[in-house]
Amino acid sequence: MASTVAQKRLFHEYKNLSTNPPEGITAGPVSEDDMFYWEALIQGPEETPFEGGVFAAELKFPRDYPLSPPTMKFIGGGVWHPNVYPNGTVCISILHPPGDDPNHYEHASERWSPIQSVEKILISVMSMLAEPNDESPANVEAAKMWRERRAEYEQKVRDEVKKGLGL
Amino acid sequence: MDQSFDLPDSTDWLETPLSLLAPFESSLRCQVCKDFFDNPVITSCSHTFCSLCIRRCLSTEGKCPACRSSDQELKLRRNWAVQELVDAFKLARPSVLELARRENTRLARGEEEIEKPAQKKRKVNHLEEEELQVPETNSQGRRTRSQKSIDSSARERTVPQIVPEVIEDSQDDEEYIPEDGLVACPICFRKMKEEAVFPHLNVHQQEEDSPKKTPTKTASFGSLKGAPQKGLNLPSKQPERLPAINYSILKDNALRKKLRDLGIPDWGQKQLLQRRHTEWMNLWNANCDSKHPKPKRVLLQELDIWERTQGGHATAPSPFTTSNNVMRKDFDASEWSNSHDDDFKRLIANARKKSEAKARQTIPGGCPSSSGQKEPQSQQGAGLPVDGARVEFGPDTDGNNVIDLSG
Repeated sequence: MASTVAQKRLFHEYKNLSTNPPEGITAGPVSEDDMFYWEALIQGPEETPFEGGVFAAELKFPRDYPLSPPTMKFIGGGVWHPNVYPNGTVCISILHPPGDDPNHYEHASERWSPIQSVEKILISVMSMLAEPNDESPANVEAAKMWRERRAEYEQKVRDEVKKGLGL
Repeated sequence: MDQSFDLPDSTDWLETPLSLLAPFESSLRCQVCKDFFDNPVITSCSHTFCSLCIRRCLSTEGKCPACRSSDQELKLRRNWAVQELVDAFKLARPSVLELARRENTRLARGEEEIEKPAQKKRKVNHLEEEELQVPETNSQGRRTRSQKSIDSSARERTVPQIVPEVIEDSQDDEEYIPEDGLVACPICFRKMKEEAVFPHLNVHQQEEDSPKKTPTKTASFGSLKGAPQKGLNLPSKQPERLPAINYSILKDNALRKKLRDLGIPDWGQKQLLQRRHTEWMNLWNANCDSKHPKPKRVLLQELDIWERTQGGHATAPSPFTTSNNVMRKDFDASEWSNSHDDDFKRLIANARKKSEAKARQTIPGGCPSSSGQKEPQSQQGAGLPVDGARVEFGPDTDGNNVIDLSG
């Protein structure tokens, strides 16, 4: 199959991420046969209840990437977080195309643009773990707990992190 | 697809002593496709992209991807200077990279002791300075002196003057004034008295104005002169640009006829016809920005690729059909964690090390208890040396992929 713009571009991003990875982030295609399906590992940011955790996620890229953004979903155990759906799907403005704004709170400037990248997405997700966006929660329960019972929320997150590490 | 795995990339420079060329090369690449600029055009907001990339962006969104200000295809202007930069850099790239890599192996052999990053960095910078400044001197010198004398002089001198002043040139020339007190003409190298040089240069100027080129010029001089001229030459037979269509006022059949008239496939629903026409218009108009437009046949092949990947022949409406279904649907966690054993081990070891170091003890003691529900590797993970872990995603096994998250 002829290599398309999307494949080439994803390859460049992959090469860049593997030679020059940002701290705490690992990402790449699962198989070289399919550049449109990636997996990523993100370290829980320090000074947060997620610290010490390692979170795996899958990234799926559309054929017209980078015109449209990928989707991202945590796998292998959920992430208890206001902006992560119970099934693991990440809800963050950089993953939303500027055209549609289902949540009616995002500035176009925060949303996806073809010059964004996997690296920027993963960095955004890392900072999202540290600082949840309360305005439009994907996980209402988690958002409520975060807002009203912060200590309980943090304990739950720490417990999940330990569970994830097999401790 | 296979050829994409040896694509040149700006990261190629990172492990060489010329690592500063990585950002330089990045700036010669389009931010949308990450490839070298191909027929670069500049937007109203002064951002440069490949003609095709920005046309595709504008036709989907109408905004500049870099700053999100609105723009129109009609306002795009070609950016020849960038095209020339890219062309020149692409020509020079293989040999410079080769040289840099050889230098790298030489350095590695020279220093048996395990290099400390900081030390190496200093050495690297020093080398870069030398390497980068030599060509600079050259380009200055070319104006007045022969390439040969510069090459030899650049090596001996520790020179590099940055301001191109006439005085500096004459200072330099002192080194080369032979005992007879004569100086060489920078063009034909004939020896003459210093006062005679400028009047003599006029002769060359006249020769140049006349249609026939002087055969006495050296190759390097000639090629320098040739380059900008090439850039100004526009192909005489520029193809006509295609106008945008307001699809909403066209009935299906009218649109179908338009596509037929353009010589592109006319099957499918109206939405597909629209998308195909837009893609064709982008391909065609981007080709009009090219110095050397491709024949229509090639564009039709490109449209066919589009048809198979995103258009009517794309395997299914879902863009993710070729994704590994086993991975998605009935996801096997233990299988997955086995295949990512190394990643996990390394990151876990890393995480442990960090939390131990900080003595914050969010993880009790870092001791591997056996309460883990599924992964056997978490028990082995604790003692694993962090730097020993390698992550290999794909066919690159040349060590580029050692990912160190500890730093």
